[in-house]
Amino acid sequence: MDIMLELGEELLSSGAEVNRVEDTLCRIGFAYGAKKVNVFVITSSIVMTVIFSDDEELTCTRRIMRSVSTNLSRLEQLNNLSRICNEHTPDIGEVKARLKEITTHKPTRFFEYTGSILASGAFAVFFGGTIFDGIAAAFFGAIICLLSRIFAPVCPNRVFYYFSTAFLVGIGISITASLITLLHSDKIMIGDIMLLIPGIAITNSIRDMLIGDTLSGTMRFIESLIWAVAIAGGFMLAIAVTGRIAL
Amino acid sequence: MIIIQQLITAMLGSLGFALIFHVSKKYLISAAFGGFVCWGVYLLAAEFLSGFFFAPFVAAVVSTLYSEISARCFKAPTTVFLIPSVIPLIPGSSLYYAMHYAVSGDYLQFKSFGTQTALVAFGMAVGISLVSGIFAVVFRTIRVKHAMPDK
Repeated sequence: MDIMLELGEELLSSGAEVNRVEDTLCRIGFAYGAKKVNVFVITSSIVMTVIFSDDEELTCTRRIMRSVSTNLSRLEQLNNLSRICNEHTPDIGEVKARLKEITTHKPTRFFEYTGSILASGAFAVFFGGTIFDGIAAAFFGAIICLLSRIFAPVCPNRVFYYFSTAFLVGIGISITASLITLLHSDKIMIGDIMLLIPGIAITNSIRDMLIGDTLSGTMRFIESLIWAVAIAGGFMLAIAVTGRIAL
Repeated sequence: MIIIQQLITAMLGSLGFALIFHVSKKYLISAAFGGFVCWGVYLLAAEFLSGFFFAPFVAAVVSTLYSEISARCFKAPTTVFLIPSVIPLIPGSSLYYAMHYAVSGDYLQFKSFGTQTALVAFGMAVGISLVSGIFAVVFRTIRVKHAMPDK
């Protein structure tokens, strides 16, 4: 039971959709001989009741405080683990060891930096910037990545984090662009907005709603809207402060 | 020229996001190629369809199909391919301009860019849900035939 919740929590916080988590937990429950499994997952909590064949009934809940940090290779490994559980039903100790192995494996920071640099640079050019805009955006992309490392754990919540990051980066971009007239501050900002924006979360939430998980969809939707507003607000304030409200 | 430039940067951008989201190395190339496919389809669709809803919709449908198929080929979750693939569709630029006009007090422009942002996001989401919904139904029926434990 505990392991299953642990697995569910990990799945959820590496960016799995709600109905994937429900489905996975259900299937593992059946694989381990449950007669009935009731799972209810929303983005911040998991509730699960399992009825075994001898009419023993167990209920557990788990509050999820961690915010989602999308980690697709972890998601994939967890998915593999649950597939193994379904097919071979290994004993609890082994599953526990495997789970621990997956979750303690820290991803290398190097890829995050490379990714941020590549993504922000590429999108600045993608939306019509010049090569130089791309380079500048890539530089600020690296800064965003750095900020997310040192800043995010200190911030009381995501809204504050997004707002302040957007503000700092916005100021940086505006100043750089006014010093070097060759650069277009709007294209650089677009490139870096792409990094911050919770586009995936918004898309996922609309998808959740359309699939039928209206509750979690709504929660995630509102949450990401607030984030988007925070990001936009941070950049707006930065633009207003540096007084470059001109295209 | 600008098309080639966009296709290449879309691919690089997808690759970048794939790296940020820690996609395993063996899937990186196919995830990046998803971004290429996605934007290619979008440009093609934008030639024939007007409005901000249908082109992202078509592009999302094709990229979801692409991701579902590669997920089945590689035996990995669909999300691994889907998220990097649809990244180029995210309306980052119209969101920026909406915000920009909101600051400068041009509410007419703000409205038009804001609506555009919302429509693109909605089109993407509908496209993705449609295809993944169909896939879910198809695979559920297959699985039921293979006898699931009775519920």
